[in-house]
Amino acid sequence: MSMTRRGLMAATAAAPVLMCVADARAQGIAPRRGGTLTTILQPEPPVLQIGVNNQGPTLIAAGKIFQGLIKFSPKLEPMPELAESWSLSDDKLTYTFKLRQNVKFHDGRPMTAEDVIFSVTKFHPEVAPRARAIFSRIDKAEAPDAHTVALTLKAPFEPFLLMFDVTACAIVPKHLFDGQDFRTAPAVQRPIGTGPFKFAEWQRGNFIRLERFEDYWKPGQPYLDAIIYRIVPDSQSRRLALETGQVMMTAAGDIEPFDVPAMRARPNLEVWTDGWEYFSPLSWIETNHRVPALADVRVRQAISRAINRDFIAQRLWFGVGKPATNPIASTTRFHDANVKLPGFDPRAAAQLLDAAGLRANAQGVRTTIKHLVLPYGEIWTRLSEYLRQSLRQVGINLELESTDAGSWARRIGAWEYETSINFVYQFGDPTLGVERTYVSSNIQKVTFTNTGGYSNPRVDALFATAREAQTAEERRAAFSEVQKILVEEVPQIWLMEMAFPTIHDKKVQNPVQLGTGVHASYDDVFLTA
Amino acid sequence: MDPSLLPGFLLRRVAKAAIVVLAIVVCNFFLIHAAPGDPASVIAGQSGAADERFIAQLREQFGLDRPLLVQLWIYVKGVLTLDLGFSHRQQVGVATLILERLPATLLLTGAAFLFAVGLGVTLGALAAGRVGRWADSLITVLALTFYATPIFWVGLMLVLVFSVWLEWLPSFGMMTVGADITGLARVPDVAKHLLLPALTLGLFYMAVYARLTRATMLEVADQDFVKTARAKGVPEGQVVRKHVLRNALLPVITFAGIQAGQLIGGSILVETVFAWPGIGRLAFEALLARDYPVLMGVFFVTSVMVVVFNLVTDLLYAVIDPRVEVSG
Amino acid sequence: MRDFARRYARNKGAVVGLLILLLVLAMALGAPLIFPDSPWDMVAAPFMPPGEMDMLLGSDSLGRDVAAGIAHGARISLMVGAVSTVVALAVGVSLGAVAGYLGGLADDLVMRFTEFFQTIPSFVLAILLVAIFTPTIGSVVFAIAVVSWPPVARVVRAEFLSLRSREFVQAAEVLGKSRISIVLGDILPNALSPIIVLSSLMVANAILLESALSFLGLGDPNLMTWGFLIGSGRSVIRLAWWMSVFPGVAIFLTVLALNLVGEGLSDAMNPRLARKRGAAA
Repeated sequence: MSMTRRGLMAATAAAPVLMCVADARAQGIAPRRGGTLTTILQPEPPVLQIGVNNQGPTLIAAGKIFQGLIKFSPKLEPMPELAESWSLSDDKLTYTFKLRQNVKFHDGRPMTAEDVIFSVTKFHPEVAPRARAIFSRIDKAEAPDAHTVALTLKAPFEPFLLMFDVTACAIVPKHLFDGQDFRTAPAVQRPIGTGPFKFAEWQRGNFIRLERFEDYWKPGQPYLDAIIYRIVPDSQSRRLALETGQVMMTAAGDIEPFDVPAMRARPNLEVWTDGWEYFSPLSWIETNHRVPALADVRVRQAISRAINRDFIAQRLWFGVGKPATNPIASTTRFHDANVKLPGFDPRAAAQLLDAAGLRANAQGVRTTIKHLVLPYGEIWTRLSEYLRQSLRQVGINLELESTDAGSWARRIGAWEYETSINFVYQFGDPTLGVERTYVSSNIQKVTFTNTGGYSNPRVDALFATAREAQTAEERRAAFSEVQKILVEEVPQIWLMEMAFPTIHDKKVQNPVQLGTGVHASYDDVFLTA
Repeated sequence: MDPSLLPGFLLRRVAKAAIVVLAIVVCNFFLIHAAPGDPASVIAGQSGAADERFIAQLREQFGLDRPLLVQLWIYVKGVLTLDLGFSHRQQVGVATLILERLPATLLLTGAAFLFAVGLGVTLGALAAGRVGRWADSLITVLALTFYATPIFWVGLMLVLVFSVWLEWLPSFGMMTVGADITGLARVPDVAKHLLLPALTLGLFYMAVYARLTRATMLEVADQDFVKTARAKGVPEGQVVRKHVLRNALLPVITFAGIQAGQLIGGSILVETVFAWPGIGRLAFEALLARDYPVLMGVFFVTSVMVVVFNLVTDLLYAVIDPRVEVSG
Repeated sequence: MRDFARRYARNKGAVVGLLILLLVLAMALGAPLIFPDSPWDMVAAPFMPPGEMDMLLGSDSLGRDVAAGIAHGARISLMVGAVSTVVALAVGVSLGAVAGYLGGLADDLVMRFTEFFQTIPSFVLAILLVAIFTPTIGSVVFAIAVVSWPPVARVVRAEFLSLRSREFVQAAEVLGKSRISIVLGDILPNALSPIIVLSSLMVANAILLESALSFLGLGDPNLMTWGFLIGSGRSVIRLAWWMSVFPGVAIFLTVLALNLVGEGLSDAMNPRLARKRGAAA
């Protein structure tokens, strides 16, 4: 597992006695039972029932309450969680999961194959559109015995297993939902799962407290007595909370990138930027192809070449994350490292614009394009301001429009924009997280579909091939081909492979182990004395 | 005012107030629905992936597919029976959400208000008494400094001094979480958390009261009835207290009444900087998420409180300034 | 008029205030001459402290010149403060005067109308209005004016309510003066000082409100303002104090100047008070 060692090395140089935390167990630090982990959740989730809400903060906190059948390593290899083992039939149609025997829900009822089948075929497809799209491929769901589940697909689907992480398909108790409206069932307010921590208390706007589940299926675990998520809406207050020790850990967007260098310099803190491989968010300039200038591939290429992605990664994000090279993040399966966007070259950009017939007027302006600023925090405003100044250099006048979160979702969904910024999770596989932005069958008036309206039959065909192909090799070939086309046509102008810092007191052991990082169940996290 | 007129007066005012609140509810409804976007599109935007069917489903479940006037009718009917509706986003009743958050806000703004009025009126009176001298200038500059300094700046500086350097006070939150503090032991704990945010908010309002008190005291001090009192040989201290200050308090009370709405509504900025779990942030987050019932609920509660406050200030006028007739 | 100026000049603070205000105005008008390039240009390394790389007041998170931002921002910020305050005063004073002087039904109607605006927490109302009308400088000024006028109306009403039963007003009524001339000539001048105090604070409030809106990403993103500078400096305050301190000082000086000027005006218009002040000084 790759880890961010810069901060660590500074610390070890100062105090050679300190050990590398990730190696703590290997070197024989026995896990210590007890203690409360205090951390931060931001923004406050509306509910803690995975499925009913799938926002980042919900997944982080509810990932301790619920579990999936499997979990994923940073290299996205499946690892056992509620399923002890699994197998795939030779025709690549039937996935058989062997469930653990001794798993109980927090209300004491045992977890069985019935709950798994209910979660996969009823609960998630009803409340979560992403699960509906994938699980509708299931032809038959059977339980040969109480601890075996066999899912038979209509056609082979290679990335199927990726849908069984807790963040995509948490196993929910059938007996608390069956026959009710899933969104309004009482269990949504008091979530009951199989995870190492059970829901204890939630004072809205203040904190969420999870407590150790005594009947957890791993004997002796979890080590922590409780986890407290404080709701702290201001980024400077979050930084102060970490500095003063009022919380031990921050994750996701809690700490602004520009504060990260100062946190790295503190000897008692450790900074990680991995643990996001499963999600691999990619940011881009969202372009609406219905705008005549943006329908011209040369204009999109010119914009792409007028932007210095290194500047964005280094100066705006302070090295947290890295420049995007193509539509598939490098941490996602099937990323082709040989397919790369051409580099920063304003002169080439100007030539492309000349070729597109956009001549400069007396003020040096070739064309004016509107740009909707992403209202998810100040750093996105800075990014848009940077883009405006960069594009001004090649004669494009980017006119910024600001908006609030509610209006933004509506305007993107209704195609009422020219350009904007967007960032989208890739979910480990291009079929799950990349295809949706580029195929013409997904041009919908809904956010996170192909809102730009890009349409290329060849791209549609290649994504279809990759989706239906039985082997990883066939899929890889199709994805490489599609990456070449997309990099040539830049339907969206990719900016950065994003990462988020996880910063914690060195007392906290094992906070980032998986490809889902802080979304893990935390049954193995403990505090040293 | 003749005390025997009071019950009839109150009754008329309360009836009128109820109509006003109802009109406000209707206006708020249209205002909120005029903002682009709706809860379904926000939820779809946050679910990572969605399709048109999903959005249609949500709209139907939330009742957003019905004509606006029908939605209004349903809402008004609910309000008349004191049912503020249900937040589909958070799956909780709106009344529960608001009641959970209201005490925190009242505590914070109440403390800040008392501090602001107390210190503001004192400083204003001091300045008026020493008009043109250095103490007056000092108070003026001080008040203006606190007013013109962005509230987050004051907040952060206080935190840096008292939480980070001196380590006396916690930098955020309303209470120590996790430690088992119950009953009376809670009081000093909450008080410790309250100090910095209340000071931050109070310093801002203090400026207004200091300036207002000073200005009106100077004005009143020059009026005939004060001169008469002086001429009659009433001691200066008594003149200031009984005649000048008493009359100068009128605009101060007016302003306090005006601020009632803001006091209930909370201060989004202070609640943000200090992670104070108040109603201001509830309203703010509801607005961004287009959580209509919650936002309308907050607006309803604040409007009721403001109408009540206004009633009280009108009564206060009558008590302080006998020449003002109570208008009915 | 000369008499007025002489009375004004007697107040030293008011003269200083006027000078500061003129300086700020000169800076606003002269910005394109002092800093010919766009204040949005990234001209230095980010987060340069004041004095380094030719940045008199330091550079911001994108390497933009804070000094250029303050100079260019002065114009829009003063405009936002002035226009929204004037609009709020116009609405607030006329409604408050009508309500306070006429009383009865008019008072009732005006007060209920005012209540509507007061009952909604002002910052939330401002965000709501800006969201409805999409954020541009016009909608920001409009939203600020809408949330600022009710206090004026209430204060003016209260003053009128109290003044209209005073002897001098009754005397004027007995003399048969028209209502308008009583309101404008007799009552309003006596109600001016709290209005002036309020309005100088309102300008500051408008600038700060604009900064809060722009911090939330709801300002006009194409115009440089002091509010934008303060807002963008807010979250990096531990890293670059200069980004919010200098615009903050600019706002403070402007507000102080406005206040001093307001006081001078009020003294000059209210000679009785000024004499007292003169005697005290």
